Amino acid sequence: MAIEDYRGDVEMCCRCSACKHIPLQMVKGVEHSYACPSIARYNFHAYSGGGRLLIAKEMLNSGFKYTDKLLDIVYNCQMCGGCDTSCKYAMDMEVLEPIYEFRIRCVETGHTNPALDKVINSLRKQGTMVPGAKGKRAAWAQGMGIKDATKEKVDVYYHVGCLTSYDKDYQKLARATAKILKKAGVDFGIGYENESCCGGRAFQMGYKDDFLKQAKKNMDMLKKAGVKTLVTGCADGYQAFKVLYDKYNLKGDLEVLHITEYLARLIKEGKLKLNKKVNLTVTYHDPCYLGRLGEPWIHWQGKKIPGYKFVFDPPKVYRRGTYGVYEPPREVLKSVPGVKLFEMDRIKEYAWCCGAGGGVNESNPEFAKWTATERIEEAESTGAEAIVTACPWCEKNFNQAIKESGSDLKVYDIVEIVEKAI
Amino acid sequence: MALSKDVYKEFEDVVGAENISDDPAIKDAYRSPDLTVILPGSTEEVAAVIKLCNKHKIPYKAQSTGWMLFAPTYDFIFMDLRRMNRIIEINEKNMYAVVEPYVISAELMAELFKRGMICNVKGSGSTCTALAMSGHGHMGMTTSTGDRNDLATEWVTDEGEIVRLGTLGASDEWFCGDGPGPSLRGVYRGGGVITRQATKVYHWPGPSEYPLEGLSPRYTLSKKPSEMNMMVRYFSFPSIGKLIEAELKIGESEIAFELMGFCPSMVSSNITTSNEEDFETLEQFTREVQGPGFMVIIVGNFDEDFAYKKKVLAQIIKETDGESLKAVEDPDAEATLLFQCTRVCASIRETFRAGGMFSSMMVQGQRYDNHVRWLEEAAVLKRELIEKGLVIADDGQQFGWGEEGGHLGHTEIFCRYNPYDEKSSKAVQEWLAKVGKRALDGCFAVPSMGILPVDVIGKRASNYHIWFGKLKEAFDPNGVGENTGFSYVGADTSGVHTSIYQKPEKASPKK
Ligand SMILES: Cc1cc2nc3c(=O)[nH]c(=O)nc-3n(C[C@H](O)[C@H](O)[C@H](O)COP(=O)(O)OP(=O)(O)OC[C@H]3O[C@@H](n4cnc5c(N)ncnc54)[C@H](O)[C@@H]3O)c2cc1C
Ligand code: SF4
Ligand code: SF4
Repeated sequence: MAIEDYRGDVEMCCRCSACKHIPLQMVKGVEHSYACPSIARYNFHAYSGGGRLLIAKEMLNSGFKYTDKLLDIVYNCQMCGGCDTSCKYAMDMEVLEPIYEFRIRCVETGHTNPALDKVINSLRKQGTMVPGAKGKRAAWAQGMGIKDATKEKVDVYYHVGCLTSYDKDYQKLARATAKILKKAGVDFGIGYENESCCGGRAFQMGYKDDFLKQAKKNMDMLKKAGVKTLVTGCADGYQAFKVLYDKYNLKGDLEVLHITEYLARLIKEGKLKLNKKVNLTVTYHDPCYLGRLGEPWIHWQGKKIPGYKFVFDPPKVYRRGTYGVYEPPREVLKSVPGVKLFEMDRIKEYAWCCGAGGGVNESNPEFAKWTATERIEEAESTGAEAIVTACPWCEKNFNQAIKESGSDLKVYDIVEIVEKAI
Repeated sequence: MALSKDVYKEFEDVVGAENISDDPAIKDAYRSPDLTVILPGSTEEVAAVIKLCNKHKIPYKAQSTGWMLFAPTYDFIFMDLRRMNRIIEINEKNMYAVVEPYVISAELMAELFKRGMICNVKGSGSTCTALAMSGHGHMGMTTSTGDRNDLATEWVTDEGEIVRLGTLGASDEWFCGDGPGPSLRGVYRGGGVITRQATKVYHWPGPSEYPLEGLSPRYTLSKKPSEMNMMVRYFSFPSIGKLIEAELKIGESEIAFELMGFCPSMVSSNITTSNEEDFETLEQFTREVQGPGFMVIIVGNFDEDFAYKKKVLAQIIKETDGESLKAVEDPDAEATLLFQCTRVCASIRETFRAGGMFSSMMVQGQRYDNHVRWLEEAAVLKRELIEKGLVIADDGQQFGWGEEGGHLGHTEIFCRYNPYDEKSSKAVQEWLAKVGKRALDGCFAVPSMGILPVDVIGKRASNYHIWFGKLKEAFDPNGVGENTGFSYVGADTSGVHTSIYQKPEKASPKK
């Protein structure tokens, strides 16, 4: 698909601005009513989902004019899909897909962002989205006796992800995950140095070819290793394997589970027992790529039925954020003795982004931090002691914002809470 | 066309570099190649921008939430007021709320719900501004209409003077629009910029927050509406006469929280989550209704009040041969209609989802007899378009709602169509022109949607356009403001009619 294929969708935009806000009946007051970080921070209509479609419409009609401002608009978007969900509450049209395609067109025509180029260079050279990554990908696993899934058959392949593998501050998440899986008696392994970046964040940044390269590489490796079930703790990785690989017909019948889904399953089956009390009041942050954008891909091909209605043959079924992963992480948290869960104003399919998505943490750290700070304040307003997430990128971004704002809020990944409880 | 560097810098000095742009990408999103877009953050900045417009004789236009939806036509300085988004005050004792232009109704309503209150929400929906100054809405039966809700107002004139109207002119209070300070309520709709306004608020007997559950796009309530002393019903009638009789009786008995004269198509759009489901549901509804109808929401203050209102409603429906649409009695459908139509959060399902565009003919302020009859004529003409396959095949009817217990009302009819289909667009424009002309010729109403030239309408309406032109000259000697005032023919329809305003002749943009 290309941006041209979404002409009908961009033309449907009625400029109603629902995409700026969370679904309107969920608005609980003048605070926390926004869904889109970009419009909330930059204010010109161009930065909203609908504004982006209006630009696309104009440029499809009269040619692309790549000004600095246009690129500022394009890259100051977390690709979080808040706009898409809010619009599709009422409308039958794609919003995020054309936004992706617009960014891909920018990259294809050489209108890239230097900070993102740097990340992609690291991907091309080192197979990781962590620029300057040093050492071995699986250094964290040293001495843990974890199987190499490329050498021996395992029931579950644990895809660790770039940040968790290379960032010293977040390797704890990989270790916690391995510890939990062992405790539950799961036969699992990792790819060691054969693991490579999922490519999901490259896709979000607009580098579609790099994404496809990574996807093919990963699927070759997984097929060779005979992997049937993949589990990951990274929301971006989850969405890449489960949704994007499927979108590009690369996933085959690989079962893809986020660690929260897998833990919820293990708890339900009685294989994982959480016995230790963790006295903590928490609020849960739904990562965009696990929540609304973790919804399975729907393969559909059809044509608009000629005439005045925006309907298709065969009927188009839209991904509206309904089938993201919302309950499993909550079930896991509720299973931890002593943990009390308070919900924020913006949750599940209309959660506010952590700020790191779409490469914004690299291209505009100030905006990433601003977005995270909004979320931190929202979390604090619940009275919780900690914000719990299910993605290392969110955790890192929250920690950075907290460091500068001086908030007392603690930040955890869900596996850290579970680790405390076993 | 662009502002000279020096002039641009003068505007930039007022709002800061981050809040001004004439970049093509920004302009594309505002759908005009000729704009410099400015985002003022305060009344003082608005006044300073307008003063600069006067100094350089540059026309300007302001936007609150942009629901007018038409692209600006000639404007040069385009003030998007979205940074002015504060609720200044909610005064529970004196029953008003003071807002800036980019407070949306969803935000104000959520705050008001918590306090047992509500405000008027424009039919366009709750992403529309909560400013009182314009707009009629679904809850008009209880909350009246925009032009009856505005209280004290802070207004920046077309010359950039900050004027405080109503009680605000004599004190710090916002409770009255007409005095003891100056009252210009009939004038400020014609120009300048409203920067803060008090809107009336009303008693809300419902919950402080709806117990919503489920996931988008299919939210529902965890409680049945009846458990909250609330009920939604759709009634159809054997004739327009019976429908009007029922509406009047309901108004007189003061039992309805909301009387929304939806056609079945508007009910089906609201409760369905895709076009396909919508058209299927509509077919079913069309088979089930006996004629024109309305939706009514009853809300009890307490059990006995709820029981009484239901009983009176049942009696009225019996007397007028109304029939309840069974599908709406289903608690899930009822719940959806309840939160959607009191929080007005799915209007675009009714209007834009099906074809991408709608065009409407309406009269605001009136509903009964004359207007319903005029728009029934319009419905006959609309059905011709449906038969030719030019507009969406819905039930084709007029709709509307009662206001202030039925003393006032709103009557409307629209065609939904694909705006990129030339034949459809042309047919709809011709339909509007015909219906508008018929309104004037038949002395039914003053058409208010910018269909006919101002002087054609003005001649039939006491030459108001000439009077308004004189006012405009007095308030806007440099002609930098816009002339929307010319189209505000008595009815309060601020904003929807810019297609007929004229470019101010005196203003010649500086290069
Ligand atoms: C789908 C749809 C349904 C609608 N249904 C209804 C309905 O049921 N009832 C109804 O009454 N209307 C309805 N409308 C019209 C809509 O409610 C009005 O256009 C509304 O008043 C727009 O408010 P706004 O602030 O968003 O308008 P904008 O587009 O921001 O502005 C409208 C006009 O007012 C001027 N203006 C804006 N803000 C200010 C200000 N602060 N001071 C001075 N002038 C200002 C602008 O220059 C412009 O001329 C509907 C519109 C749509 C698209
Ligand atoms: S993208 Fe959707 S929600 Fe946003 S303005 Fe357009 S139609 Fe409305
Ligand atoms: S993807 Fe997120 S940041 Fe980008 S326009 Fe949509 S809501 Fe805003």
